[in-house]
Amino acid sequence: MPLLSLRNVTKRFGGLVAVNNVSFDVEEGEMLAIVGPNGAGKTTLFNLINGVFLPDEGTIIFDGHDITRLPAFKRAPLGIGRTFQIPRPFSSATVRENIAIGAMFGAEGKKTSVDRAMEIADHYIDLIGLSEHRDKPAGGLTPVEKKLVEIARALAMKPKLLLMDEAMAGMNPKDIDYIVDFVRKVRDEEKIAIVAMVEHIMRAVANLAERVVVMHQGAKLVDEETEKALTDKRVIEVYLGKPPEEKNAEG
Amino acid sequence: MKAKKYLPFIPVFVAYLALFLIGETVSGIWQLIAMLAFYCALGQAFNLFMGMTGYVDFGYVAFLGVGTYGMAITISKLYSHGLGFGLIAIGFALAIVMSVLLSLAVGAVALRLRGAYFAIATIGVNEGFRYLIEGAKLWNGSEGIIFSGPLRMAFGRQTATVLTTFAADVFVFIIALAAAFITLVYMRGKVGYALTALREDEDAAKVMGINVTKYKIIAFITSAALAGLLGASAWALKLTYVYPPDVFEITYTVEAIIIVLLGGAGTLLGPIVGGLVYGLSKYLLAIILPGFQLLIFAPVIIFIIVTFPEGLVGFVKLKTRGTWLENYIV
Repeated sequence: MPLLSLRNVTKRFGGLVAVNNVSFDVEEGEMLAIVGPNGAGKTTLFNLINGVFLPDEGTIIFDGHDITRLPAFKRAPLGIGRTFQIPRPFSSATVRENIAIGAMFGAEGKKTSVDRAMEIADHYIDLIGLSEHRDKPAGGLTPVEKKLVEIARALAMKPKLLLMDEAMAGMNPKDIDYIVDFVRKVRDEEKIAIVAMVEHIMRAVANLAERVVVMHQGAKLVDEETEKALTDKRVIEVYLGKPPEEKNAEG
Repeated sequence: MKAKKYLPFIPVFVAYLALFLIGETVSGIWQLIAMLAFYCALGQAFNLFMGMTGYVDFGYVAFLGVGTYGMAITISKLYSHGLGFGLIAIGFALAIVMSVLLSLAVGAVALRLRGAYFAIATIGVNEGFRYLIEGAKLWNGSEGIIFSGPLRMAFGRQTATVLTTFAADVFVFIIALAAAFITLVYMRGKVGYALTALREDEDAAKVMGINVTKYKIIAFITSAALAGLLGASAWALKLTYVYPPDVFEITYTVEAIIIVLLGGAGTLLGPIVGGLVYGLSKYLLAIILPGFQLLIFAPVIIFIIVTFPEGLVGFVKLKTRGTWLENYIV
């Protein structure tokens, strides 16, 4: 049984169909990239999976639970973690507190005391290499550090599925490689399925994902292994338009 | 580790003890001290909600108002039953029940709204409740309740005087300490971290698995119950009457907001510093420049809030981070 399965999920905003009849599965421990140009419906899809929006049609099953209409705060304890496109750490709280909050309310939150959560936080702080910023307010960090704190906070929730929203946007190649390595290492250790949403940084997609789902105008266009997907003609068309020789041939 | 968490309560306790002892030893100063204690307690109770959640409740005084009624109704109805000091205990209990019920009613509607919309929704609560009492002739309607007679009959003249002139103020000190202690317990527990998260980013908090509505209601009810107790002691017991326009007066809500912002929203010591600064300047300005106090007070408050946007304690807290003082200034 897949860890996450979406069946015919549709979300409309007024007349706009943001996500149109999308179905796909995510297996346990899998690394899946959701790719698509701006406006393809990727963020809406994420918001449907973790409960920020509820779908108009379709069902979402996670780990054997029907979570289609479950509020967001009840999904996190089941094991769904999330990072945001623009990092949203709790600015006034310290790095340590930020990550501890993840541990306190995540999948094992009920049996995690505040003191224990702080110990878990220390573990992840060392893992992301931000030990010297441990007791600084998260609001004062650089964007890359904020992103790392956010990833650590999501990991401290002990998720079975981690949704990473544009995890690499606005970063230089060195930082991207660092985060990709880090994410992969954690996945291998903790067997977390990761769904990463990527707009156009194919470097990250190629290095990270085993499978790629390409979204276009709200619908699923391609669902293939990474190499096949990235060389698929339809995918190239979505990003670059039709190649000139074809246009010529048609004309 | 466990004991260290509660170290910040030491300066709180010392501050209130010092205030109490000054009032006891310096003659003729008790009324001023009682007023300062009231402002500190008001700030401490209000901070538990506003400081910790970032939500501003403009109808807050209504909780003090119904608490006042709780004590007034108890004493005026039950004074002849020979309950002794049980009468006061029942009064406080009823004050808590009434303010908690009101907070549930207000919270169930208003806490679904975010930020400014919550503030707007709560603006009318105190006025609405006042008109309800007056219009529906509830609890003696617009005439209010005067219970100095019943209080004397229940306790005798001498004890009644001690109750109104001394015990009522001591209760205020106890409520302030209790409010500070609960604030600290919340801060150090999951409630506090959940509130920090939702204050900073409510959507992110939800996605992290935090039931934001639950934690907002916890803070709201606790804060309302303390306000009810404060009304029951500082207004009902001290003045022995309750009159609707007096106890649903929005000025007290505004004062509570100023105290919390002056001292530092969400800090433990903030309400003490804010309460003392506000209370003392209000008192002194009324003596030095009677009639002009508000005119001078407004720019002073603006100056402090512009210079120390985190509040006075918030400012010191940032400066002492990483030193031994950080365990005490919270």
